[in-house]
Amino acid sequence: MFVITMRAPDVARSVRAGQFVNLGWAGGPLLRRPFSVYRADGEVIEVVLKAVGAGTAQLLAMEPGDRVSCLGPLGRGFEITAPHALAGRAQGAVLLISGGLGVAPMPLVARDARAAGARVTWVHGARSAQELCTEAAGDEVIWATDDGSRGFHGTVVASAPDADVVLACGPNRMLAAVAERWPEAQVAVETYMGCGTGVCLGCAVPLERGGYDRACKEGPVYRAADVNWSMLPAHLAYGA
Amino acid sequence: MSVAVGGLKLRGPVLAASGTFGYGTEVPLLERRALGGMVSKGIFLRAREGTAPPRIAETPSGLLNAIGLQGPGADALVRDYAPQWASWDFPVLVNINGESASEYGELAARLDGVPGIAGFEINISCPNVEQGGLYFGNDPRAAAAVTEAVRKRTKLPVWVKLTPMVGDIGVIARAVESAGADALCAINTFVGMSIDLNAYKPRLSFRTGGLSGPAIRPLAVHLAHQAARAVRIPVIGIGGISRAEDALEFLVAGCVAVQVGTATFVNPRAIAEVHDGIAGFLDAKGFSSLADLPRYLPRD
Repeated sequence: MFVITMRAPDVARSVRAGQFVNLGWAGGPLLRRPFSVYRADGEVIEVVLKAVGAGTAQLLAMEPGDRVSCLGPLGRGFEITAPHALAGRAQGAVLLISGGLGVAPMPLVARDARAAGARVTWVHGARSAQELCTEAAGDEVIWATDDGSRGFHGTVVASAPDADVVLACGPNRMLAAVAERWPEAQVAVETYMGCGTGVCLGCAVPLERGGYDRACKEGPVYRAADVNWSMLPAHLAYGA
Repeated sequence: MSVAVGGLKLRGPVLAASGTFGYGTEVPLLERRALGGMVSKGIFLRAREGTAPPRIAETPSGLLNAIGLQGPGADALVRDYAPQWASWDFPVLVNINGESASEYGELAARLDGVPGIAGFEINISCPNVEQGGLYFGNDPRAAAAVTEAVRKRTKLPVWVKLTPMVGDIGVIARAVESAGADALCAINTFVGMSIDLNAYKPRLSFRTGGLSGPAIRPLAVHLAHQAARAVRIPVIGIGGISRAEDALEFLVAGCVAVQVGTATFVNPRAIAEVHDGIAGFLDAKGFSSLADLPRYLPRD
């Protein structure tokens, strides 16, 4: 997992947790590539990525000073409410669940949740310790790996404690499991993305009530119970 | 740079292609000054959900899509979008679809006379619907029947968007010209397929999709040229245009205007850049207007 830092003052100032940027660059693939904003500080933003295809490989080969075209911030982010109001307690518990690259929006979520006065528990999962992002800010951090090489041996959902408010990002399969346990959770889904601005309708998210809407406009964050998980592709194939 | 195209006077030769510009309200940062006009996302009489995801797949220099003409239907279009279009300073054409010739006609009648709607682009070329679409576009009699059905129900300009999936585009072009079309739009997407080698099945849930983007440009220039040679009505060139030079190829090849589509997904300023680039080219070459641009259009 790698972090790329970009100077993008307008995005840095206005981005909300869970929003994304669509990046394009000279000599790159035809379509832009979407990335959740990982961190925003002053005039810079950060995104995290893995080399999944030719596009991300080109991004990772860039040098300091290279330029990319950054469209954003796009989409609707997480609604981070004051959880104590929901729980009727002095300090509500917010549970963040991230799997693999789903770590991407979580630092901003953690920042906002703590600013809202919540106690933050971050459950952090990956296939193995090697693929685990070590960055996790929270009052409590729980590690989970599929192969048991670090922390809890099993899924993030199985390792997570109960909570008043659950915010999750990760592979769609993981989010479907989150939806089973916490139908009210807010989850950031993963889809193929065309324009990122709401016109191509390529990022369709199937809804429980029928029909589709757009991950780039109405999403990418959804109430878990609103998504028709059986129709949402569980795995995205990159390449070609 | 103004041009007269099929019953409409456009302030410039570059239009936004259907399905790549939504209903014109979605992309706020686009420079609208350069828009010659806009063709709305394709609409049916009734609302349609569209196809299941995955709906798009990127291929080398291309984009495969199978959106399935998701849309709110005619009543919602009239209620939610047309009133906004009525105040805009460029014409909006509605891309119309149906499962039968009479349904196309009914839709045209429903939209005819609604303030904000300047004309129609008949879609007889969508590859991503089970009923209608491309079926009408590759049979000259069916293409003519649809055109006639719309022509009878409206006095507004009627453009017809042709499919490239035909043996001889000239035959279809002449058929819809005879049926009363004011202009032709050439071309819609090519039918394509891409395979997911992990799942051993197509990458799109609809199996096939329409291929757009720079990958199809030389094919599109050829087909637009063939259509332009076959008819007297104007032809609007479409297919893989992302730079002014691309648009100029279509114009020299016999088109009077162009539509920019997939490029807008990548670059929200694409239309403005193409428009400005054409103006710059005319300037640099010493042409005082678009009409002076030499055309390569030997008549059949």
